[in-house]
Amino acid sequence: MSFLAPLVLAGLGALAVPVLIHLIQRERSRVVAFPSLMFLQRIPYQSVRRRRIRQWPLLLLRATAIALIVLAFARPFFKQASLAAAAAGGAKEVVILLDHSASMGYGDHWQRAKAAAREVVAGLGADDRATLVLFGRNAEEAMRATSDRARLDAAIDAARVASDGTRFGPALKLADSILSRSPVKRREAVLISDFQKIGWTSSDDARFPQGTSLSTMSVAADTANLSVPSATFARSAFAGQERVAVTAGLTNRGDYGAANVPVVLAVDGHDLETKVVTVAPHASTAVTFAPFTVSDAYVRGTVRAGTDLLAADNTLHFVLSPSAPVSVAIVDGGERTNATLYLKEALAVGTTPAFQVEVVPAARVTPALFTKRAVVIFNDTPLPTAAAGGALEQFVDGGGGVLVVAGERASWPNDKPALSPGLLGMPVDRLSGRGATLGYLDYSHPVFDIFRAPRSGDFSAARIFRYRAVQPNPASRVLARYDDGGAAAVESRSGAGRVILWTSTLDDTWTDLPTRPVYLPLVHQLVRYLARYEETPAWLTVGQVVDLASAAARIRTGRVVVSPAGTRTTQQAGAPGLLELDEQGVYEIRSAGVTNARPQLIAVNLDPAESDLTPIDIPELVASVTGHATPASAETVVPTTATGEETEQRQGLWWYLLFAGLLLLAAETALSNRLSRSASVM
Amino acid sequence: MNTGSAMPGARFVDPAVLARIGNLELLARTVVDGFINGLHRAPYFGASIDFAEHRGYVPGDDIRRVDWRLYARTDRYYVNQYEADTNTNFCILLDVSKSMGFASRGVSKLEYSSYLAACLAYLAHRQRDRVGIITFDSEVVAHVPPSAKHFDVVLHTLDRARPARPGHLAGTLNRVAEHFRRRSVLVLISDFYDDPDVILDAIKPLRFLGNELIVFHVLDQAELTFPYTEASSFEDLETGVQLPVVPESFADEYRQLIASHISTLATRFSEHRIDYTQLNTAAPLDRGLFSYLSSREKRMRVR
Repeated sequence: MSFLAPLVLAGLGALAVPVLIHLIQRERSRVVAFPSLMFLQRIPYQSVRRRRIRQWPLLLLRATAIALIVLAFARPFFKQASLAAAAAGGAKEVVILLDHSASMGYGDHWQRAKAAAREVVAGLGADDRATLVLFGRNAEEAMRATSDRARLDAAIDAARVASDGTRFGPALKLADSILSRSPVKRREAVLISDFQKIGWTSSDDARFPQGTSLSTMSVAADTANLSVPSATFARSAFAGQERVAVTAGLTNRGDYGAANVPVVLAVDGHDLETKVVTVAPHASTAVTFAPFTVSDAYVRGTVRAGTDLLAADNTLHFVLSPSAPVSVAIVDGGERTNATLYLKEALAVGTTPAFQVEVVPAARVTPALFTKRAVVIFNDTPLPTAAAGGALEQFVDGGGGVLVVAGERASWPNDKPALSPGLLGMPVDRLSGRGATLGYLDYSHPVFDIFRAPRSGDFSAARIFRYRAVQPNPASRVLARYDDGGAAAVESRSGAGRVILWTSTLDDTWTDLPTRPVYLPLVHQLVRYLARYEETPAWLTVGQVVDLASAAARIRTGRVVVSPAGTRTTQQAGAPGLLELDEQGVYEIRSAGVTNARPQLIAVNLDPAESDLTPIDIPELVASVTGHATPASAETVVPTTATGEETEQRQGLWWYLLFAGLLLLAAETALSNRLSRSASVM
Repeated sequence: MNTGSAMPGARFVDPAVLARIGNLELLARTVVDGFINGLHRAPYFGASIDFAEHRGYVPGDDIRRVDWRLYARTDRYYVNQYEADTNTNFCILLDVSKSMGFASRGVSKLEYSSYLAACLAYLAHRQRDRVGIITFDSEVVAHVPPSAKHFDVVLHTLDRARPARPGHLAGTLNRVAEHFRRRSVLVLISDFYDDPDVILDAIKPLRFLGNELIVFHVLDQAELTFPYTEASSFEDLETGVQLPVVPESFADEYRQLIASHISTLATRFSEHRIDYTQLNTAAPLDRGLFSYLSSREKRMRVR
């Protein structure tokens, strides 16, 4: 045992105090002046009796209490214990960052990573605390800071490889926040991962403060990996049914070529076709399978390729449904022969979606025209009145889309003001000079959204020589304007439906727009928007969130969601339907209580980037996080010798000694009170 | 205090309260006037020359003092004798030894004695007696010869009295006795820490010349009751000798000893026809005054 303040031990001399108190306190402590001792001196008295110590237990209590208090102030500590603690490096806060992204499923990477984590736990000192953080794209604490190794080991054993991507940024930030909360000075993060390059971007600004170290344990071995990152689906109509030809993309990320790899297309659990391909190292190739008929909705399909160590990305799941063509009716005035030609041809080339176009002369517009239509285009013709007009109104209110192309003959019936985006005026001639151009497009609108990026469509090349002046309603939204400020496209909404007024023609009479490259996508966008068309992707990526309660969802009642792993989740009707897709495979969504219907399926695949096992330069990562380029593997925990003061502070023996001393003093008080009471009674 | 019921109407003031009166004359007047006013049938001295007794004429007597009416009735010469209450020497003998400085509560024995002395001096002064004082310890500290004009000096001397030295009654009182040429009323105030025989021997000379001696034995409450509980060293105020004392085992014996001392003194003084009054500093002054006056009255009645 050593003492921080050995000089205080001189206070042990105070042990003599109780003895002196016993011996002389009664005689010397107090002098009472008295007029005369004449009488007192006559009283015989045995003074020797008082000098004898009679209360040995009291004396021992007092002496022990004083000794304990003096020892406490000398601040003792055990040197051996301090050496042991110093060998372990003193108390340390460790955050174990264990990568459980999909790529960790490669070969024995996961087993090695878990073994490395257990190794870190085994190396913890008695006072050390560790936190286990599992991370993929996001990081979460699997075990909060604890010194209990058994719990840490249990948490490591319970960890499973997820289907997640890899991002080091969130994990390192979480580690930083955990470590910065710790009162311990020695802080260390241990990163156990396969260190995929894609997991770290320079924009990740995770940075450890000075004094926090980052150790790394890499489980990356070789990076041979063949994956099926994508597939495209070519739809064609054959004998009234839709056929789909699947073209799967294969990528070989390895250093060695993948020769004669069988690529299998399976639909609804049956292998339809197998093709053998050879993929050169660091190259991609495509395999096109023979078309197959898609008759039912939600046809489940997979493409499998290769048998490499990372099995998760060897399979691509997809879900196909027969495409539903968008039904479009073009109401034509019939005065001009080629008035609808451009529109019809433009819509004929659509595949996603396909457009089913019917041209109807204005004279034959009946209420029946609007049934089962998605979009009706009034191409330079007055809008119907009477019964057909009422049907039109109902059509729009019910969610239908109307495109009014305002040429010379277009007119708006006075009894349909609700549908009108604006008040149509007289034609404006811009024949002089180069004519009008579209000077303003509202790129925030879904119609023009695809033209937002630079070089995504040159509307300025189109000339507009004549257009109908229009005075937009206050509630309407102007989607495009000419260079003189006149509205070129105005949208209004009525009920659930949409009406767009195009103030020039969509043929070549007033403008040369139909001859420009932007014409086809513009028309497609207009019709898609008006038809409220939403493309259903064949698969989603792990980590995406779908809203099952959205308007586009087909199941509006209560839902039962079955994950690829078989986990059942029930969502009540009206409850938020957000579903995070965190597993690879196919999710089944059933209507609650309905068992025989074909379930809605959502295919979920790995993030293609996760297949890229190329490792990052670890020292670079460490350098950018810690600010100093220490070779991670060399950065081992160096034992530091704790100073006596630190050891004493940690052991805190003085506190116990002081407490015991005070306790003894209290006992002494009680005992002496009792003794003096009993003596006075005697 | 049962003295209250013995003398209804008398004012009894706590000595600790009196101690707040800085002026001794004022104090004496306060106490004495209050006391006199409270006594309904108290004799008042000094206002007139009262007849005392007849005595047979002897040659040499002033014939003017012959009671001729009595001669007419009896055919014998008698001389009228009157109670001469003036021109009496009244002298206070105050012990100012160190032991008199003891005080267990507010007022020390010396202070108490000073108040008593001041009151008595005031009484005597009002009676046109000549007042004087001798303070002593082992020697005579101050000597104010009795005089009708010395009342203020007496008060001044009382005011200045400090317990400074150890006291010794025997030798000092012998020397004091030599000062008195005339018959006097002597009031001796002391705590009498000495053997009763030694004390009696010491005061014997005071009684020469027919001096009238009144003794006040002033003791503190603590000296009488010994209220100490804690074992302590007791220090003799006069000698400085210390003695370890455990009151638990000392108290009873001490009380017995002091009680027997007081009773011995009382017996011995009464044997010598000396008025002895034991006073407690915790008790009001009036008791002392009453004792003095009653002894004077008694003396007159006896004569």
